[in-house]
Amino acid sequence: MSRYEILSPEGLRTDGRRWNEMRRFSPKMATTTAADGSSYIEHGNTKVICSVNGPIEPRASSARNSERATITVDVCFAAFSGTDRKKRGKGDKRVLEMQSALSRTFASTLLTILHPRSEVHISLHILSQDGSILATCVNAATLALVDAGVPMTDYVTACTVASYTNPDESDEPLLDMNSAEEMDLPGITLATVGRNDKISLLQLETKVRLERLEGMMAVGIDGCAKIRQLLDRAVRDHGNEMARMGAL
Amino acid sequence: MPISILPPQPAQSRLPPDPDSDHDDEKVTLNEDGDFVRMASSQKRPKAISIVTPGEIVTSDPQWMRGHGTYLLQSKDSTTDGSGSDAEMEDGADTAAVGGSGGGSIVATVAGTVQKVNKLLSVKPLRARYAPEIGDLVVGRIMEVQSKRWKVDINSTLTAHLLLSSINLPGGILRKRTSTDELQIRSFFSEGDLLVAEVQGLFQDGAASLHTRSLKYGKLRNGYFLKVKAGGIVRGKSHIITLEAANGAGEVDVILGVNGYVWVSKKVTLQAPPGGESITRLEEEASEAIYSNVNEDIAPATRREIARIGNCVRAMVSWNVRVDEEVLNAVYLSALELEEMGIDGEGSIGSGVEYLEGEVGRIVVLAGMDRVSSANLRAGGMVE
Repeated sequence: MSRYEILSPEGLRTDGRRWNEMRRFSPKMATTTAADGSSYIEHGNTKVICSVNGPIEPRASSARNSERATITVDVCFAAFSGTDRKKRGKGDKRVLEMQSALSRTFASTLLTILHPRSEVHISLHILSQDGSILATCVNAATLALVDAGVPMTDYVTACTVASYTNPDESDEPLLDMNSAEEMDLPGITLATVGRNDKISLLQLETKVRLERLEGMMAVGIDGCAKIRQLLDRAVRDHGNEMARMGAL
Repeated sequence: MPISILPPQPAQSRLPPDPDSDHDDEKVTLNEDGDFVRMASSQKRPKAISIVTPGEIVTSDPQWMRGHGTYLLQSKDSTTDGSGSDAEMEDGADTAAVGGSGGGSIVATVAGTVQKVNKLLSVKPLRARYAPEIGDLVVGRIMEVQSKRWKVDINSTLTAHLLLSSINLPGGILRKRTSTDELQIRSFFSEGDLLVAEVQGLFQDGAASLHTRSLKYGKLRNGYFLKVKAGGIVRGKSHIITLEAANGAGEVDVILGVNGYVWVSKKVTLQAPPGGESITRLEEEASEAIYSNVNEDIAPATRREIARIGNCVRAMVSWNVRVDEEVLNAVYLSALELEEMGIDGEGSIGSGVEYLEGEVGRIVVLAGMDRVSSANLRAGGMVE
């Protein structure tokens, strides 16, 4: 085992949360006027800025599809975002995988058929990493897409769940991993569409016992529902603020 | 504490409370869509505006047809709608007729306000890109020159097309279009040129087709381009406004593109040539100058007023005031007055008073609104 306990005998994790507690989640919407839609999300110490441009005329002809809008995603890790300073290039395998996972997730949820031959460009900047990066990127992109007025069937929200093995071999799901937990425990990233438990993204990068997966997913779906509430509140606050300013 | 990204807060208003401000209540007209026509102070706005968010069921009542910003969720197979959902995700306007019959619920796809037109239910997004409609006056910029057409950026989801056949060729309206014109297509418009045009039609995918077949439309010069948010300019009676600028600057044209692109320029009068009095002669002369790339000589005073008017438009849009001739004129006069007396009433401000961002803009816009309402009162208590 590692030097420190992931879950103390009292049932507290390293940062003092219980198994079903999420870190502080603070979403901001419409943070810049330069893009069509933008957002900024802090999830614990994970911080992501997202801006969305689109639907626009595709910048590359490869992104033109006569049937539906193409969704392109750029993920950029700031060099200072992790514990050690390192530059992730554009061709980094992990970055490419995140980009394709994000674009496939949103392609299934956005009503891309309404804007054929155009492109929706999502640009994500990770300013600080502390676990659940892909999940935070999904949430930030959702919020920015809502701000940009891109039609979608429902919010896509994501969170992570780890599987912790107690000393007595029983298992316990831990909602919302931070980076220490992500390093030591097997975990999943899970995204759902709306309130009806429809899973649009499930990513498992480590080995996990099959019988544990269902419990982890159940916890993750609940976590996603909670995040959906928080995002929805952010959107409503923003809309009411606009109404108050007389912009509607 | 999380990092907060907040817009700058306006300082305390330096305008004295207006004793006549009661009249504002009458001036504020909210039409049915929740579009407001005159600026309202925040406290006076009714709380009636409600926001719907994506995934929210707007109604399950089968009497409504779904419009833009909504989709129809079949209530029966809500768990297995993944496969069949594409069929019902077509845009509201054309499939709306079948929308009401399915017995499903109408669900919002964008965050915005619900609008009801007869039995058509649509959601107007809080913010979205410009969607062209036939007849819109737009200001655009040439992105690309092709063999028989230009591609024009009009701030929309797709670039608009301007066909060679839908522009006025120099040398009179009745001239035949020849292959020479195709070869020298860049002599009319080349990349980066600004133009004002009207949306003539829409393609299947929503891209606009423009035309400039009028003396009002064509290439833009002698002025200043600015971009405001796409919803900032509302479709109105006239989008080409001529203002009498102060300080001996002559007349200034303001072209308010519905797409949020605005052009402010010195008014160019077409002098009829000596001897030629006929309309056709005038048109020929005009069309010679239509595609010129050379600016006329613009006096510094005119440049200042062009800048000031541009900033007035910007301030009005950022404080959510509808831009039309009457109000723009009033706001412009207020901006001039502000320069005369100075921001703090000291008259000590030298340069930079054309700058109307933030609080100064609000003061000027409010003063302009007051000017309009008092003028209306004087005109016999007529509202609007």
